[in-house]
Amino acid sequence: MIKILFFGPVAERVQMRETQLAFAPGMKLQDIITTLNTQHPHAFDIVSFTAVNQTQVYDMQMPLNDGDEIAFMAKFSGG
Amino acid sequence: MTNPVRIQQEDFSQDQEITALKASSLRIGGIATFLGCARDFSEGRDVSEISFEAYGSMALAEMNKLRTEAIANFKLIDARIVHRVTTVRAGDNIVFIAAAAEHRAAAFDACRWMIDELKQRVPIWKKEITPQGDAWVTPHP
Repeated sequence: MIKILFFGPVAERVQMRETQLAFAPGMKLQDIITTLNTQHPHAFDIVSFTAVNQTQVYDMQMPLNDGDEIAFMAKFSGG
Repeated sequence: MTNPVRIQQEDFSQDQEITALKASSLRIGGIATFLGCARDFSEGRDVSEISFEAYGSMALAEMNKLRTEAIANFKLIDARIVHRVTTVRAGDNIVFIAAAAEHRAAAFDACRWMIDELKQRVPIWKKEITPQGDAWVTPHP
């Protein structure tokens, strides 16, 4: 399974903090984005950062592994 | 002694953080600090509370990286970063950053760099609770 986390304003728009999607060999980050963006287009409007296993990633063609943790995040506003 | 990089709900003591920092070395000649605290207004509205949320594991890892980079890049002797993740009221402490160096210039520069980088790199979000409703904060430069 792929664990997917949402925080702050993104969590509010998708109305959940966590979900899971079944892993399939050859799956890429973009596959997850496409699936979730279809379900929650208003949430992905504000996604500015994506992290895989707590590390920010920029290549949406990144291959995924079973058990990966993905976070979709709006711009940060700490401090 | 507390960890120099922390995310916590409870308030922190600047005195205790500085004492811990000074205990790390007698070579310290200057400590620059930044204290972020909650305002009671934002963009013309009254703000009664600010609620914070974090991607805890990533935020802590990124804050540790920030401290390590600051120590290396500014030749600091030590540094501390503490961020509260809870709901605060006007006047409450939010974030504390301290940079200790042999001389003041490096301490000032590193302190400014750490809070600027924290705002851009650390996954923490704040929501302002106002009489007109709640709103997630859009980052400020």
